[in-house]
Amino acid sequence: MKRFIRLLALMSAVVVALAACQKAAGPQIQVEDAWGRPSPKVATAGAFYMTLRNTGNEDDALIGASSDACGTVELHESFKTAEGAMGMRPVEGGKIVIPAGQTVELKMGGLHIMCIDKKVDFTPGTKVKLVLHFEKSGDMPIEVEIRQPK
Amino acid sequence: MAYKKPVLVLVGALLLVAVGWWGWNRFRPYAFHGTVLQSTEPAPDFTLMSADGPVSLRDFRGKVVMLYFGYTFCPDVCPTTLFEVQRAMELLGDDADQVQFIMVSVDPARDTPERLKEYVQYFDPRFIGVTGSEDEIAEVATQYGIYYQKHEGTVATGYLVDHTASITVVDKKGYVKLIFPYGTPAEDMAADLKYLISH
Ligand SMILES: [Cu+2]
Repeated sequence: MKRFIRLLALMSAVVVALAACQKAAGPQIQVEDAWGRPSPKVATAGAFYMTLRNTGNEDDALIGASSDACGTVELHESFKTAEGAMGMRPVEGGKIVIPAGQTVELKMGGLHIMCIDKKVDFTPGTKVKLVLHFEKSGDMPIEVEIRQPK
Repeated sequence: MAYKKPVLVLVGALLLVAVGWWGWNRFRPYAFHGTVLQSTEPAPDFTLMSADGPVSLRDFRGKVVMLYFGYTFCPDVCPTTLFEVQRAMELLGDDADQVQFIMVSVDPARDTPERLKEYVQYFDPRFIGVTGSEDEIAEVATQYGIYYQKHEGTVATGYLVDHTASITVVDKKGYVKLIFPYGTPAEDMAADLKYLISH
């Protein structure tokens, strides 16, 4: 009897482990704390920030985004130039890779999703609808909260 | 009676430590958070255009002036800095009236005085935005050691401008005193500004 219970326990453990594997196959993208700062109308461009978490076992990449609130959406990064100045450019290769099991931060002074030619007022409390396009995970609609930085 | 001597020595030593501690705190030089510059010459004067008329550095003698070079299309680095300055102004409370923040456009072709005004005043109604001709801006930037360079962007962004993102602080006597590098927290700026206001 004891031996049977032990076997049963082992078997269920294997089943659970297999199920976990099944679930984690491929990339698993989670988007956390998507936000953008309030800005005046004359600021024609705005930036969105968020945390991209890949809990899966395969790399994925953010390859673009779109929103009715922006004329164009581009993936950008701010960086320090050789002269010690700050510059901004579209991300290299046109994508932001999120390696399996890792987290990528889009944050002030670094990677950001740039909303060019804003169509709506970015006043505090506004929720901007944004669709993220991932290389493998496909489209993911999210909401970006307009608020002051924390 | 024999026990009294060590006690006295102990009390004396403690007193010495206390006085030393007090003196150190009272007279030690203030340690700035920003990078201190020893200017032998007053900060170069300039006159540039704001939406409310010409603005010269000398207009603010007796105040602490913060000079920042940026542009309104800049959606990340510039608003991050202006927000931090706005927080520093809040932390200063009434003392903030002794500080003048001026943003000089490095994109005179696209930034009109009116655009600049609306942009900077979104952060703090006391902020001033100025611009000028390409030549005027280039001259002021050179005088203040500010690097800026246009480079090609995308169809949507148009050209972008790389630019030095630090803040130059001119003291009440009109001398360049400090540089706040990009990313200096509001608390550090406020502490340095407070010291410059009261000295
Ligand atoms: Cu950008």
